[in-house]
Amino acid sequence: MTDITLPAPVADDHDTGGYFQAAQRGELAVLFCAKCDAALHLPGPYCSSCGSLDVEWRTVSPTGTIYTWTVVEHQLHPAFPVPYTVALVEIDDVPGVRLVTHLDGRPDVEIGTPMVAVFDDVREHTVLPRWVIRDA
Amino acid sequence: MTYPLRDRCAIAGIGATEFSKKSGRSVLALGVEASLAAIADAGMTVDDIDGIVRCDLDSLQHNDLAHALGLPELNYWGAAGVGGGAPCGMVAQAAAAVLSGQAKSVLVFRALNGRSGQRYGHGAAVSAAVGGNGSYDEYFLPHGLLSPGQMYGLVAQRHMAEFGTTSEDFAHIAIACRDRANANPNAQMHDKTLTMDDYMAGRMISDPLRVFDFCQETDGACAVVVTTAERAKDGPNPAATIRAAVQSGMPDMQGGMLFPALMRPTLTTQPSASAAAKLYERAGLGPSDIDVAQIYDCFTITVLLQLEDYGFCAKGEGGSFASSGALQLDGSLPINTAGGNLSEGYIHGLNHVVEGVRQIRGTSTSQVPDAEVCLVTSGIPVSTSAMILTKA
Repeated sequence: MTDITLPAPVADDHDTGGYFQAAQRGELAVLFCAKCDAALHLPGPYCSSCGSLDVEWRTVSPTGTIYTWTVVEHQLHPAFPVPYTVALVEIDDVPGVRLVTHLDGRPDVEIGTPMVAVFDDVREHTVLPRWVIRDA
Repeated sequence: MTYPLRDRCAIAGIGATEFSKKSGRSVLALGVEASLAAIADAGMTVDDIDGIVRCDLDSLQHNDLAHALGLPELNYWGAAGVGGGAPCGMVAQAAAAVLSGQAKSVLVFRALNGRSGQRYGHGAAVSAAVGGNGSYDEYFLPHGLLSPGQMYGLVAQRHMAEFGTTSEDFAHIAIACRDRANANPNAQMHDKTLTMDDYMAGRMISDPLRVFDFCQETDGACAVVVTTAERAKDGPNPAATIRAAVQSGMPDMQGGMLFPALMRPTLTTQPSASAAAKLYERAGLGPSDIDVAQIYDCFTITVLLQLEDYGFCAKGEGGSFASSGALQLDGSLPINTAGGNLSEGYIHGLNHVVEGVRQIRGTSTSQVPDAEVCLVTSGIPVSTSAMILTKA
C-alpha cells in the first residue's frame, strides 16, 4: 500500500480531523459525547441523544471483527488493482461503530473474522488506519 | 384523518426518449423531447404548464428547460433528491404544488447522459485528497470503496449471511426484469435474453454481485405531467390517479457517495420500510392490494430488500419469494414490466413512474390483466420515496 497514486484522505476536516490526528500517534480514535458517553460515529459536532455540544475524541482498542465484506473484481481506479477485498469492521470496544478497510486479494474471511488496526503513512503527515486479519 | 392528497391529483401525461448508450445530444435536447411528449400525451400545450420539478442530480435546471420549451409562465419550481431516491417524491412535490394553488400543471423530468457522460456507477471522482466538508468520503474512498455497486456488494453479502439468500435468488430478479425488457422495443436489453446459466456465467464485479446484478447506465430522459384529478379527465388518454405518495427516510447521514448508510444499525432493513408503512396508511391499502409493482432496481439486491420492506414477504424471505416465480408476469407480484433500471434503462427510476402509468392505462408491453393498483418505488439506501397509482 505504498503506491503514491493512492488517494489520501482529507485529514484536517473540522468534524473528522481528530480521527487522522490520532492515527498519526498510532492510535484508533472514536468521537464521543463528553456528557452522556454516546459514540458519535460518523463524527459530528452535536450529541442529539442528550443535547450536548461537548464532544471529545477517545482512544479505543484497535481490535474488531468483520461485519461484512465484498471482493472487488472489476477495476475502477488504478490505485486499487483487482482483485481486492473491502471489509466493514465493527470495533470490539464500541459496538455499532464500523470502519472500512482494504485487504489485498481474496483473503479467507467471514463475518466475525477477528481484525486488528495498523497505521500506514499514505503521505507525509497523513496516516490511514487500516485493518489486517488478527492471528488467534 | 384521511391523507389530504388522496386521489386529488393525477399523472395526465407521460413521455420518454429513446434509451441508448450514446445519445449524441445534450441533456437539454433529451429533456425537451421527453417533456414535449408528456405535454402532448396529456392533451395539453406548453401554455398549460406553469411548474417544473427537477432532480438534484440533473445538470439541467428548471429555468433552462422552461425557456427551451417556451413556457409562458413559470410559477412554481422545486427539486428533490438524492438521485434515484427522488422520482416519486418529485411527483408528490408536484401534486402538493398543484393542490396548494401554486401551479396549474407541473412537469416532472429527468434528463441524463448517464452512459456517454458522467457515469454514476463509476463512483467518486477520486483525486489526490478525498473527502471532507461533510462528505465523510475520507473514511471510505482511501480504502478502495469507490462505487454504489461495491457498497451493495457489502449489503448483499450481509443479507446472504443473515438469511441464507443465494445468487439464484438475485438471478430470478434479473431474469424477471430481462424477460419484460425482451417484450419492450424501447428497452436497452430488448434483444438480449437472460437465462440462469447466462447469469451464473456472468462476470463477477463485486462479489457476490455479478454483471447482471447491475443496472444499465443510460442516456435518455423521461417526463410526466401532474395536475388535478379533475383537470386530468380532460386529456385524450386515461390518467393515473395518485392514491398516495410518500417521502421517508432515516434521519442519518448520506453525504458523499452514500457510504455513511453502512453505519446504520442494520444493513438489511432500508428506508423503504418506513416509507411502506406511511404509504399504505395514507393510501388505506396494503401489499395484498397491489396488482403490479415498479420497484427501483439499481441492483438486484435493491429489489430483494424492498420486497421485504414493502411487506410482500417477511424480512429475510425476499430470496425465496423472488425464486418462487412471484415476480414473473403470471406471478402474484409482477415487477418492472418495462424492464426496470436493470434491463430497460437507468433513468434513475422516473422510467418506473412512466411504466406505472402505462399499467394503469392498460398500455404496457407486458400488461398485467385488469391492473388497477400499481406500486412505484424510488431508490435506496438514501431517504426514499414511493407512491401508489390507481385507475381513475
